Amino acid sequence: MSPLATTLKTSLETEARQFHDVVDDHMDVPWQEFLQAWGELREIDILKRDDQGAYYIEKS
Amino acid sequence: MADKGFRSFLDDLDAAGELKKVTKPVDCRQLSALGEQADQATIFENIEGYPDWRVATALVSTRKRLAVAMGCTENRIAFEFEAKSARPIDPVTVKNAPCQEVVMEGDDVDLTSIPMPLMHLFDGGPYISGTFAISNDPEHGPNVGCYRLMYRTPKETGIDLVSPSDMRFYYQRALDKGEPLPIAIAVGVHPLDMLAASYKAPIDTSELALAGGLRGEALEMVKCKTVDLEVPADAEMILEGELLPIGWTADEGPFGEFSQISGDVKWNPIFRIKCITHRKNPIFYMLQMPWENDWLAAPVTEAAGLQALRIASVQPVDIRAPVGSCGYWSLIASIKKRPGEGKNAVAALLSVAEVKFVIVTDDDIDIYNPDELDWAIAFRVQADEDAVILKGARAKHIDPSVKSWLLGKGGLPTTAKLGIDATIPEGVPKILYRRIKNYGRDRIKLEDFE
Repeated sequence: MSPLATTLKTSLETEARQFHDVVDDHMDVPWQEFLQAWGELREIDILKRDDQGAYYIEKS
Repeated sequence: MADKGFRSFLDDLDAAGELKKVTKPVDCRQLSALGEQADQATIFENIEGYPDWRVATALVSTRKRLAVAMGCTENRIAFEFEAKSARPIDPVTVKNAPCQEVVMEGDDVDLTSIPMPLMHLFDGGPYISGTFAISNDPEHGPNVGCYRLMYRTPKETGIDLVSPSDMRFYYQRALDKGEPLPIAIAVGVHPLDMLAASYKAPIDTSELALAGGLRGEALEMVKCKTVDLEVPADAEMILEGELLPIGWTADEGPFGEFSQISGDVKWNPIFRIKCITHRKNPIFYMLQMPWENDWLAAPVTEAAGLQALRIASVQPVDIRAPVGSCGYWSLIASIKKRPGEGKNAVAALLSVAEVKFVIVTDDDIDIYNPDELDWAIAFRVQADEDAVILKGARAKHIDPSVKSWLLGKGGLPTTAKLGIDATIPEGVPKILYRRIKNYGRDRIKLEDFE
């Protein structure tokens, strides 16, 4: 897993966040790099959604 | 090569003074907010991190720009659409196509190489919002529709296939056999092609031939590289792949919907991409929600209303699908009425797709003037005689009032529909509606006294 994907994973294990909040936290990262990291989380199928549509990850 | 294409339409908008060109560097996270503020269609020519790409948006987010696409005046769009759609032209197949100038296949497929924008505050991810989606069924043939795609991975998107549609039907048939459904997505086609794709045509009607009719020339198609489908040759970009046979199991959304509502998370299939092709120096089309979607919907709904009225042997004079109800949910029509036809017209218009509110007036009412409509409703309507309520009709999930959250995954909602016959009631003398007219108004002019 890339360092950015690891950072995203840690953040979403801490609390549920809307996608735009996750984006806001990484505005300094090139968009393509951000999308690739997000895709890494999708590929391992760990992203969950709450009632408000926010993303979270259950701690293993 | 066909005369009408995405790029020729950009030229048409430019010639009409309806295209803004932004040359400063823009990040994909800024595109939607910038496009929403522009009072013209906009092309962003310098996308940070995507040097080969440009992004165009808001191409038909006003009725004026839609009229540019149709080549007619604003109040004739529905009638032009109806006339041209009655003269379909079958597509032709060509061997070489601009949309296949660059090919990414297999391991090279990478959606992150496309400048997908984050469009709205509560969206579940970046979206490809303006699509011309092609599928095929062994019995019913090719079908085209418009479906949004949410980025998941470099090779996968979600696809909103919740509402009733032909592609949903095709997918269900493939799913019943445990098979994937091959599809192809074209992005960056002429707005007339998008109009054809969004037309609620009977399942065996060719949207491709309809697009040809609207263009006045055959749509040129080319075979896909990896699936047995054909796509518009002059598109900016093509995504080839298949809907996985997993049913409605993957989270998708929310997305800023055409209903002006953020929407909620839906459960949908996954689109796995096998191949991406595009033009050299391609232009990504970001369909701006909600207005661009709604103005594309309005003439389709209006033309369907005209067709329904004619089938009911009612003579329409004017019709409009107000953009406030997103070009889908309301129809207002004036007719040349014979006894009983007010109700016939209401019933006919309520039969149109998602339309759930209808007003029918006589042809002395200007249906574009809200004061005239109010006057007709005030003085020509008795609620117990002229309101028609139809229960249990098909609905869209996006309408919160249908409470679709009670239906579970894959469930389809229903709705009640209301029609108002605001024509002069049978038995009421027309003389009672004689309007006030100022004495001498035709010959006495204020400017002569200034």
